[in-house]
Amino acid sequence: MAELPQPVSFLVRGVRVALALILMVSASMAQAAADPIDRSALARAVCSDGAGLARGADDVVRSAATASADDLAFSGSILRALLDRRLACVGDTSVLLDRPGGSEGRDAATGATRSAAGARSPVLGLRQRGLVETGAGVVALLTGASTAQRSAGLATLERRAAAVPEADTILERARAAETDAVLRAAIVQAMQAAALNAPEPARRRAAIGAIADAPSSAARSRLASLRTDPAYAADPAFKAALDAGIARVERAVTIGDGLALSYNALSFASILFMAAVGLAIIFGLMGVINLAQGELIMVGAYAAYGVQEAFRMVAPGLIDLYLVAAIPVAFLASAGVGIVVEALILRHLYRRPLMSLLATWAVSLFLINLVRVVFGSQNLQFGMPSYVSGGVPLYADFIVTWNRLFAIAFAAVTLAATLLILKRTPLGLDIRAVTQNRDMAGALGIRTRRVDRLAFGFGSGLAGLAGVALCPIYSVNPGMGATFIVDSFMVVVLGGVGTVVGTVVAALGIGGANVLIEPFYGAVAAKVIVLVGIIVFLQRRPEGLFVARRRR
Amino acid sequence: MSGAADSLPSPVNARPRRSAAWLHEPLLVGILLLILAACLVLVGLKPAPYVVNTIGQLAVFAILAVSLDLIWGYLGILSLGHGLFFAIGGYVCAMHLLSHAFSATGVAPDFVQFMGWKTLPAYWAGLTNAPYALFLAMALSGAVAFVFGFASFRSRVNGVYFSIISQALVYVAMLLMFRNDTGLGGNNGMTGFPLLFGYPMGSAAVTTGLALASLGALAAVLVGTRALVAGRIGRRMLACRDDETRLRTLGYGTTRLKLGIWCLSAMIAALAGVLYVPQVGIINPRVLAPDLSIEIAVWVAIGGMGRLGGAVIGAVAVNALKFWLSAAMPEAWPFILSGLVLVVVLALPNGLLDFASLRTKPTWLRNGGGR
Repeated sequence: MAELPQPVSFLVRGVRVALALILMVSASMAQAAADPIDRSALARAVCSDGAGLARGADDVVRSAATASADDLAFSGSILRALLDRRLACVGDTSVLLDRPGGSEGRDAATGATRSAAGARSPVLGLRQRGLVETGAGVVALLTGASTAQRSAGLATLERRAAAVPEADTILERARAAETDAVLRAAIVQAMQAAALNAPEPARRRAAIGAIADAPSSAARSRLASLRTDPAYAADPAFKAALDAGIARVERAVTIGDGLALSYNALSFASILFMAAVGLAIIFGLMGVINLAQGELIMVGAYAAYGVQEAFRMVAPGLIDLYLVAAIPVAFLASAGVGIVVEALILRHLYRRPLMSLLATWAVSLFLINLVRVVFGSQNLQFGMPSYVSGGVPLYADFIVTWNRLFAIAFAAVTLAATLLILKRTPLGLDIRAVTQNRDMAGALGIRTRRVDRLAFGFGSGLAGLAGVALCPIYSVNPGMGATFIVDSFMVVVLGGVGTVVGTVVAALGIGGANVLIEPFYGAVAAKVIVLVGIIVFLQRRPEGLFVARRRR
Repeated sequence: MSGAADSLPSPVNARPRRSAAWLHEPLLVGILLLILAACLVLVGLKPAPYVVNTIGQLAVFAILAVSLDLIWGYLGILSLGHGLFFAIGGYVCAMHLLSHAFSATGVAPDFVQFMGWKTLPAYWAGLTNAPYALFLAMALSGAVAFVFGFASFRSRVNGVYFSIISQALVYVAMLLMFRNDTGLGGNNGMTGFPLLFGYPMGSAAVTTGLALASLGALAAVLVGTRALVAGRIGRRMLACRDDETRLRTLGYGTTRLKLGIWCLSAMIAALAGVLYVPQVGIINPRVLAPDLSIEIAVWVAIGGMGRLGGAVIGAVAVNALKFWLSAAMPEAWPFILSGLVLVVVLALPNGLLDFASLRTKPTWLRNGGGR
């Protein structure tokens, strides 16, 4: 170029400069998104005409992915004020008021206090309102102070995804900054949804794979809804990916549902076991069917309620511990009631089992109505400590809920303690001896009456423990005993009287059968099938599954 | 008595040996005379409708109590599920009344409209015919009792075992009837019976007629069951109650005996249900609540089990008290009932009849068989 004449060279340089200028200008236009938001321009734009307002809001949306948090907060406050009718225009600048129709406010651009006298309110048309809402939502998602604000922002963004060209980048930025796990999951879901609707087939297939990696029934219905997508018929690769994804999710959901069902069955069986084990010990020892066992469960649950109220009054800071503290209290309360009943009534009726049945029914009637008169018949309100609320999603739709885990663990501990007491303590030895042969035990110097009373107290106390175990799961009211009593009788009949092992097996069987049949044929059919099953079973083994060794 | 011997579990000898209950004839004759007197009062004095209705209901409860006493007092089998047979009778009767009304007025029953059906379900066919309905109630009740009794007695399910399984039976039946798709009214049950044999329900004639029919049925049931328990079968029933093993060892089959009496008892309970429903005008699954079935046993225990008259006295006394108190002080009634049960169970092993027995010194007391 050196040989070129000077003017030509000048010309070339001029063209270069011009090109560079054009490039710069166009680059600055294209790069507007990357630039910091022009605060004063925005403050003016919202007070210009409708088109200017729309452009201002749109600029916020376009630059949201990269703009600094400060800028976002600034534009968010303007857009929010616009929506709340707290924005007034004085001349061509905007003033933020504290409340709609206020007389004084801050200048949007400078922050100086300004009078809003003679100000006008900008008018939002339908289109402008939509853009302003979108902008405010995007800003709220990125910079909102509370989780609620951010999730509201996410909802807005999802609703108006079409108006947000860089939704992916915005969502990615929001996800990276998000601290709340639930909201982050929701953001991820929104990103997947956005990817699913993306135009590129590869990205869509990847999104399908990503959804199938986190299987749940929600994921299944989202994937299933894609079968109506035109690409399903047109694109074989898409069809294959979608079918494979749905199959994978369905398999996982089935397994997860199965796990959840087994988990529910196990927790129901645990409750049944706790309700029935005391009954089985008492029945085995004394031949007394305690129809008030359900009400002893209720006494235990009400004792737990009493402990909760006591904690609330005396030590509100430790209230989370009330459920643990309630365990001995409920045991002693129910055991006390049981011992009183035994001493006053049942002692006289050991030779007449059918009459003791009626007597315990009278006791249960009395207890139900006593509690109804004292506490009222409404459900009790239990505050749930953190260790029995919520749960951990384990696989697909299967969530390990803490309240049921509490019941299961509680039942396991009760089982261990019961076996320990029966097999390793002097009282347990006496109970087993009297169960096997009352006369011989008496002849050997065991005070059978005292054993009866203690065992009745022990069995009643176990019912009280059942009351504690079920108060995080079931509703607690005076009539609650009736819900469990028939099932726990069935457990005793099926398991065989006086055997703890039989009670465990029968509780697992009946609880499991009830819960497993229920989803397919309904709760009533489950009960019918279980009852018929028990009657048929008793044809073969009238004494139940496990017969306690005894001599007569 | 030493503690051990006293608390020996000996269900076989749980009740004292009592010489035949048919010696208490004066009691039965007295009750029959009272029934006759009640009939005459109903026809002659024409008391207020609610009195007539109350008398009718008490008679129904007495029939129900007799049916349970037959199986409990004479065979030692305590059914805590007799509400089931009562309900079978009641439901079949309600079906008859509704299909009768449907055919007479053409207005479909409430639950049929509620379920969005056009006509009654197929198994309602023929129930417009009253004798068929009565037969169906008896047959159905007897059949259910037969199946359940056969399964239980054959495998020698006895004592409290039988009691709690029968309770589970009535409980399951209750859950079943609470469903709305059974075609039997669901949880609302069946109500709104306008007609009985073409006569408007609630008219003085119908109310009196129902009360008279109930009293007549009670008398017939009493005479019939008394003839039964006074005869050879009754003797065998008592023997079976007191020592089933011994009776069986002596060569008498007990399963057939128990099964037969059990089915008869169920059919009598169904008869009570048939008579009950037109008098109260409603049947719903609540009659299947286990508590109601236990209450029947309570009537018998309070009146004095093992004597048909005792069952009648218990049912009438408890229910009259209930009618009065559950209106006068509803809060107190459950407490009074439970207290009554405890007193009877602890202090009066033969129920209210103990008061009478103290004067007349029946055979079993003279023989030193008291407890």
